[in-house]
Order: sequence, then structure tokens, then C-alpha cells
Amino acid sequence: MIHVDLSKCTGCRKCEVACAFFHTGKVSNRLARIKVLNLYERGIDGPVVCIQCKERYCLNCPEDALTLGSRGQVIVSPTVCTLCGACEKACPIGAIEIFDGIVYVCDLCGGAPKCVAACTEGAITYVREAGKRASLAEIKKSTKKMNPSQRRGYYLEWQGTALREKWSRKHA
Amino acid sequence: MLEFGYGGRILRADLTKRKFQIDPLDASWIKSVIGGRAANSKRLFEELNADCDPSGPENILIFGVGPLTGSLLTASAYYTVTAKSPLTGILGDSAAGGQFAAEMKLTGFDQIIITGKSDKLLYLLVTNSGVEFVECPEYKGRKIIETTNAIRREQGDSSIQVAAIGPAGENVVSFASIVSSGNRVNGRTGMGAVMGSKNLKALAVRGSRPVMLAEPLAFLSENQKIDQEILNHPEYKKRYQLGTTMLMKDLNNIGILPTRHFQEGICDYVDEISGQKLASSFKVKNKSCFNCNVHCSRYYLADNLEAEGPEFETLCGFTSRVGNQSLPFALEMNAYLNQMGMDSISASEVIGWIMECQEKGLIHPDDLDGLSITWGEKEKIRQVVDMIAFRQGIGNELAEGTKRFAERFGEDARKLVMHVKGLDIICGDPRGIKGYGLTYAIASRGADHLRAEPYFELTNRKEEARKRFGKEKAADRLAEEGKAALVSYSEKIALLTDSLTMCKNIGLCMDILNFERASSLLKAGTGFDYSPEYLEEILEDAIHLDHQINRRLGMSKKDDTLPERFQKEPLTRGPTKGSTVNIQKMVDEYYKIHKWEE
Repeated sequence: MIHVDLSKCTGCRKCEVACAFFHTGKVSNRLARIKVLNLYERGIDGPVVCIQCKERYCLNCPEDALTLGSRGQVIVSPTVCTLCGACEKACPIGAIEIFDGIVYVCDLCGGAPKCVAACTEGAITYVREAGKRASLAEIKKSTKKMNPSQRRGYYLEWQGTALREKWSRKHA
Repeated sequence: MLEFGYGGRILRADLTKRKFQIDPLDASWIKSVIGGRAANSKRLFEELNADCDPSGPENILIFGVGPLTGSLLTASAYYTVTAKSPLTGILGDSAAGGQFAAEMKLTGFDQIIITGKSDKLLYLLVTNSGVEFVECPEYKGRKIIETTNAIRREQGDSSIQVAAIGPAGENVVSFASIVSSGNRVNGRTGMGAVMGSKNLKALAVRGSRPVMLAEPLAFLSENQKIDQEILNHPEYKKRYQLGTTMLMKDLNNIGILPTRHFQEGICDYVDEISGQKLASSFKVKNKSCFNCNVHCSRYYLADNLEAEGPEFETLCGFTSRVGNQSLPFALEMNAYLNQMGMDSISASEVIGWIMECQEKGLIHPDDLDGLSITWGEKEKIRQVVDMIAFRQGIGNELAEGTKRFAERFGEDARKLVMHVKGLDIICGDPRGIKGYGLTYAIASRGADHLRAEPYFELTNRKEEARKRFGKEKAADRLAEEGKAALVSYSEKIALLTDSLTMCKNIGLCMDILNFERASSLLKAGTGFDYSPEYLEEILEDAIHLDHQINRRLGMSKKDDTLPERFQKEPLTRGPTKGSTVNIQKMVDEYYKIHKWEE
């Protein structure tokens, strides 16, 4: 899985650019499977990407179009998928999203993620053995009524709280 | 057809009629100016009624990006805003980095041209399909980030990017700024005042038209070379750690750090206000513009406040330039000015000028509604800035800009205004950087270093200087020889970075961009056959066009000069001691190179 260290992220979006470019030859955050947000009032920048959560909410696909790959990544079958949007609605953090007839979710680039290679700050790392998987049950409750973009914003802000506490302690 | 690089469309929004129109971008028109700043200037030249009131509905406000903005190109994060300047009455423009430009690019509009005036405060929401005019009377008085967050909430999208004005822009302070990405500022020439005069609180953008390249793999390979050059650059580490705030100590070391309003070039307490001090005591992390690997900006926490920045100009402007020794105070002013939407350079000039004039007895407190202020008086500085932003009391008149305000006073006070063509001078004493002095004098938006950024003169590369400019002296900061040639070259590279649109710290100061490289990037990016020679030619044309715009707006060669202080009064100590600028000689040479008449 992709691990993010928010304290090192500067918000440059090189990860997002690399993701879109190496998958599609184009640049746009809509085409990226890792999406960076900048929360200006909090000084928090960070990418939101599939964290391979404990619950795997997205797998509850009515068409069974989603399966898990050997690295724990979500695989979407384009032939089975009907673009019903159930997976997008299910993900509590907006890490899976449909745009222009395609489901965008992190595929780990076959084990050598381009976003990790693009990050000059060491803010994103690839962890082969995910170990104990994080639960998104609490986040799920809070983001129920939100769209994917709002969910990403909520999740990043929630993650940023701990970092901001660290900053405050250091500067107290 | 513009398939690659460019969005290929322009958007026109009329605020009076609340109507918009989408036009195709003409391929041969844009090819002759590349994009960004040069394209904005050309649009202004073609469509502006030169006699119009800059704060009236007739003024044209242009947001422009370039063919490689928001693309794979490293640091392609800039957009330029252009209009007739309410501060100077001539060509006005200002660029900013951050995240706004890349998102604007995704809307598929290379230029957004705004005319007219709304009867109510509103913001524009620009998407692929055009504009929504959203009335927002309740936004009146809101600061920048408040406005950004309100729009994001209202539209239910955390990725919307917003370029907004604060109270200073709403009150049409002539040096009001536009701010996007929270703290990235289009600071100069009062573009925020133009927005305010049109009752336009913000421009919000969210697009989904991807940036396509003609030859993605060729582009990738050129960009990988650029990334390597940046990471291996001798200045990389310093720029990463300090960004432009490195200049506090660097300029002080050569005796040109503006101190007490350019009376001195050395600040004895520089260690207390330096970039190094900021990094060790207040910085919590690096911040970056879109797709950059230098990450030169910073986020800081200080006495109950936090913000991104400050850049060197704000840091110097609110420390040594106005005689303030407190770094936390400068950090407070940075956050405050960015959120109020006011240019820190013009703001610090008006304050520094009053301080010096009062010290010399040229201005009496009675002339200023009883205001008496001297070096480093923090509470008074706060008060003055606040009065300007809200146009209260004497602030109402100071909001017109230092040069205009000074007109009521005697010659001794007037000549102490550090400006060229009405635009306040940046923090860098030209007596010790002669190429910069020439740049301030000839820059088409008034006193400005970014028009040419002849950073080369600080690098001491003698051999390279002989090769490029025919004279070793071009690499000697104190020499006037060879500077017209240096400036005529680097103003083209500066315009190239502004037109592509790339960061100048990287493109120019780190010497990453040249005509050959730009040619291969543009070919791979747009599919147009841009040869290095053709590029040089059209950049020269574009520089000539700026010159013509200003001629039309009443400028002449006599305006291409520097304040008397820099020509006659030498600095008294340090490595720049004894030096003055023979500006006339350099300007003459510069005109000769351009084949311009008197």
C-alpha cells in the first residue's frame, strides 16, 4: 500500500502529476488516482489515495466488478463494471472515483508506484506488507452525506489534526 | 486547431451584462506570443481604450496561462493578471504561483477576459462550460482564506482554486493585490484594485480538460533533464531551505539590503530578521507551488498566527526597510497583508518614505492627520496599514500610492519617493547591482526586477560573461559595462518564463531555461515548430509591444530612470560603499540595442 507522511508533504502535487501522466499521457487531477489537496487555513497539504482499509467498503459491488490483487490493490474489471457508482459512494475518503466513464483507484503501478518515485520529499512510500489495516469506520459515519471531493477534504483535515498538534507542541 | 499544450479557447465575461462568450483561440495569433504575460500584453494592446479610467468598467482584466502551464513541466505553476494599472496608469501586470494556474488551465481557457462592472459584489465560477455569476454580498469584508473556504463549501468541492481580493481590493486601494492558494500573491501594480472596482470578489476555477502534449515522451525526457539540473544545482540546497529569504543575508553581505528606507545598505541586526532565523525558529514545513521540486516556500507558526511565506520582499519590507528589528512582527504583517490583499512592497515604501521625511522634517504630523511615525514603531505601522486597507482618515489618501500622495509636498520630499513610473521600488539597492538598476529603470510596469532579473551579475561567472555578453564586466555587479547587453538578454528569458509559464527562480536565476531548451519543450508540448531563433525574434517583438503600450499611455524615455538618490548619493559603508548608478549611460545603450528612438 501507499503510505503518506503528511509532515513531509509540501503540496507540490508531483505524485498526482506522475500518476496521471504515466497512466494516461496527460496531466489532470481528475485522471490521477492519488489526489492532492491543499488546506490553506491549516497549512496542511497531502495526497489522498486508497489506504487498503480494513473494511474494504468498495468491494461491495452489485456487479462484482471489483476484486483484490496480490498486492492488496483494488482491480476494476472494465467489462463487468456498469459505472453504477456504488464503489464511489462507498469509499469514506473519496479514494475511488468515476470520471468520464472510467473508475479511478490506485493500482500500485504493478508494484513500482510512479507517485513514490516522483516524490522528492519522502512523503510517500510503498509498503509491501501492509500489516494491521486501518479502519475507516469512524470516518465513514462522518462523511456519509458528502461527495468524494468533500470526503477527501474531511479526511485530510482529520489526518492533519495530529500534525498540527505536533507543531503547536514544538512551538509552545 | 490547437490540440496540444493550449486549452485552445478564451473566455470573455461581461460583468455589467452578466453574459459570457467562449471564443476559439486563434492559432497564429497565439503562436506569435506563446502565451502567459506576452499574450496578455498583446490582448491589452489590441482591446484596451488607452484613455479609460483604470478603476472604471472599461478597463480590461485578463487572467492568462501559457501552453505548458499545469503540464508535466516542472514549476509550470504561474499565471499572469494584466490590466491598465490604477497605481501607475500604465501597463499593469502581476504573476503568482501556487495552485491556481494549473486548475485554470484545466478549464480549457488560456485567457479569461473580464470587462464591465457588476452592480453587486459577486464571484465568478469558471468551469469547462463557461461562467456562473454568483452574487455574494455577504462576502464583503472577508479575508482571502475565508473567501476561498466559503466558495469551496458553497460549491461542495475541496479542490476548487480561488483568486480573491480582500478588504483592500474591495476598497480599491491602488496597490491592492489578488491572492490565490491562500498566500500566493499577484502583488504589483494594483490588479486587486481593478477587481474591486468591478465589484468582483473572486475568480474561482475548477476544470477537467486534461493538458495534452504533442510528444509526451520527448517532453518527459527533456523534463527529466531539467529535474536533474535543478537537483544538482549548487544553489538547490539553499533555495530549498530558505527560498527567497536567503537574500536577507546575501544582500546584506554585499551592502545592498535596503535599510531605513534606502539610507543604508547594511542592517546591523540582520541575523535577527534573516531567512535563517525564520527557518530555525518559526518554520514548520516547506511549501511548494504546483509541480515544483524546489519547495522553496515555507509555512510558519508564530505568536498566535500562522501563514505561508514570507517571501524576501515582504520580509525585508517590514524589517530593515522600515527599521523594524522584530521578526515575529514581520511575520504578522505578512499574514495580515496577504489576507487583506495588499502589496507589501508598495505598503512598505509608503511607510518608509513617511518615516524618512518626518525624520528629516520634510513632513509635519499636521500634514498627516496628526500621524507621527518613526523607524520600527510597530503599533503605528499596524495602524497605518489598517487605515490604508479601509481607506480611513489619512489612509484614504495614502491608498492612492506613494508617488501620487507625495505630489502635495515640496521637491525634497517628492524626490525621496523610491519609485519608477509610479511603481515603488523593490528591496535591492541598485547602487550595488547595476544591472538590476537598469532593469528597474526600463521595466514596462515600472520599478521592477522581475522583468529581466539579471541575477547573472551576482554569479561572478567572468568567462561565461565574455561568451554571452561580450564583456567580463557583465558578471561584475558594480560595473555598468555590459549591463545593457545582459539585461536585453535576460529580459527575453524572463518573458519566456512568464509566457511558458514557469517560475523565474528556476527558469532564470538557476539558469535552467534558454532558447534551445524552450524550443524543444514547446515543440514537444504544442507541436508548433518553434525554433530558437524564431523564439528570440517573437520575444523581442513582445518587448517592443510593451514599450508601445506605454508610449500610448504617455510614457517617454525620460521616465526610464532611477530616483536621484541612487544616481547621486553613494552608500557610506560596506562592500558597496562609494558607488552610484550612471543610469543614463546604461539606458542609452539599452535603447541602442533595441533600436528605439529617443
